Order: sequence, then structure tokens, then C-alpha cells
Amino acid sequence: MIRAPLSTTSVLDESAAVVRATVTPWAALLLATSIPYRFMQIVFADRLIELGSNASQYGALLRTTADVTCAAFLLSLCGRAIYARACRLASESGAAPGREALRVPLMALAGYVFVASIAEAVTYLLFVTGLGIAFGAVLSGLAIGTMELNTEPGIRGPLRRLARYGGSSRLIASLALVFLCALVVALLNVATLVSVIVSLASTVGGWDAARWHVLLSIHNRRYVLMIIAGALLIIEPFWIAANVLLVRKSGSAETGDDLRVWFEELQRS
Amino acid sequence: MTEAINPAAARRCAVHQQRPAYAVCMQCAKTLCQECATQWDGIWYCAACLSTRRSATAAKSRVGGWIAVIAASLVILYLCTRFMVWSGVLLAGLR
Repeated sequence: MIRAPLSTTSVLDESAAVVRATVTPWAALLLATSIPYRFMQIVFADRLIELGSNASQYGALLRTTADVTCAAFLLSLCGRAIYARACRLASESGAAPGREALRVPLMALAGYVFVASIAEAVTYLLFVTGLGIAFGAVLSGLAIGTMELNTEPGIRGPLRRLARYGGSSRLIASLALVFLCALVVALLNVATLVSVIVSLASTVGGWDAARWHVLLSIHNRRYVLMIIAGALLIIEPFWIAANVLLVRKSGSAETGDDLRVWFEELQRS
Repeated sequence: MTEAINPAAARRCAVHQQRPAYAVCMQCAKTLCQECATQWDGIWYCAACLSTRRSATAAKSRVGGWIAVIAASLVILYLCTRFMVWSGVLLAGLR
């Protein structure tokens, strides 16, 4: 299903088709494995905000939360790996993948966990500079995209592939920018959806509308954090699909496979 | 009990009887022609012994690769939690 030449629009178009083909049950599985991780991130951020400048005195509490977040992160990586494989299968066949998506090779998973951990570490290390999230998102996107190319266990192979596919930096940067805009749109959509639901529910008798308005307002930091996590969960399948396709299309552009498929389709039409 | 070696056969390749021997495999002691003999680490081997040796080396490096990738992932995940706390405390302190 590698049709159009490598470009941001072609990657986005095809990733939308792939997400449509993989929405059940693979996107649902991705969501189910990502929810604990996002929830723990909310808990961590909430504790930090609550502790404020006294946070340094609660190191043990924060470390425990970080350890649980890390465990949830590992679970989410398994979900992402299965979803990335489902995306690859869907892009090859053009149909919804079956149980084959669950058979993620252990070597690919190990390589992916290694590179995704680096991306996560870089995100937290550079978080205070503001570049951490963008840099970490790009790295983790490339990590999931190159996951299935890891056929040998080791630490050099996954890093080499990351460097190789990270070379198309203009395309990656434009994809990251598009997804940043998508995140803002998703944030607004989720917030609007919640407010519409609350407004509709307030018309129902026996509903404590005033209380829910306070709980689900932007002045409640937990609500804001949950909205951010919800938006991230919504765009995650698209981000993974886009990165899988980006790597596949980059690879086929190097080997000339894209041109061969392109000419075949032209001849057929 | 040692097997008697036919000197004429010893001078011929074990695979290609019509060709003269060029080297001896250091593992199975077969005589080999120039085409059949392969030097690896300065030692001559026949194709079968070389492939056995190479697959053993590959298996060894695969075990090493597994150990390296698991150990590195664990170390980085440990650092992840520390960076998470460190960045969080730093940011919370700035507020």
C-alpha cells in the first residue's frame, strides 16, 4: 500500500487509512495499555504541583510514583509495539490485520524498549529546557517506526537505524509540527465535548450540575491534566501509524520500491 | 588404532577428487582444493566446519546482544525515573 512518493501529506493520508483499518481491536488495545501510563503521569504531575517548592523534601514519594510510572510505561510500550505491527500489516495488505499483529518478534520488542527508554530519558532530562517533549516525541516516533527492522539483539543496531531514518529531518520536523497542531485541536475538542456533556447532563433532574461545573472547569488542575492526557491518547494511534509509514516509505524510497509500485499502478490505470 | 592414510588420496581434494589438495581443514583434517578451503583467523577450514564455527560465533554474539540490550534498557529505565523526579522537582521549585 505504499502508493504516493514520500511526503508529509502522503504519510498523513495513508496513516489515516491505516488507523481506520486498525481501529478495532488494535487501537483499542493501544488505548487500554496507554491509559495506565498517562494516568500515572497525571498523578506525578499533580503531586508535583501540589507539593510545589517543597517537592524536594518528598523525594521518596516522587520516586515511588516515578517507578510505578516507569512500569506503566513498559506496559504501554508493549501496546505500542503490537499496534505498530498492526499498522505495518494493514499498510501491506490494505485490510484489517488479524491475530498476526500479536506476534511481535522478541528481538524487535527488545530493541524498541531500549530506544524508547532513551527517548523517554531524553524527554525528562531536557524537560526543563522546553525542548524535551518535542525531541523525545520525535525520537520515540522513530523508535516505533524502526521497531520491526530490529532483527538482531544488540544496542548498536537500533541506534544505527534511528540515526539512518532520522536523516530525513525536514519531513520529521513537519510531521511533528502537524501533530503539535493536531494535539491542540484534540485538546479543544476533548474540552468542548466534556463541557457539552456537562451542559446536557445539567438538564437532567437529580444531577448536581454546580458541583460538576466546578470539577470540570479549567481552574481544576486535575481536569486540565486529564484533558491533556485524553488528547495525547487520541492522537497516539495516528502518530504511531504516521511514523511506521514514514520509515517504510523512506526505506522503499531508498530501494526504489516506491517507484516500482507507482509505475505498476500507473500502468494498471 | 590409527587409520592408514593413503598418500595419493591425501594429495587430492576430499570434495573434488580430480583436483589437487591445497590445504587441510584444521577441524576435520580433510584435504581441500583451493576452491573448498577458506581461511578464517589465519586457519584453513572446509565449508561445513566453517559454517558450524560461524553459527557458534553468531549464537555467542546473540547472547551477548541480548545481555547488552536488556542491561542497557534496565539502566536507562532506572535513569528515566531519576530524571523524571529531578526535572519535576526542579520545575516545581521554579514555580
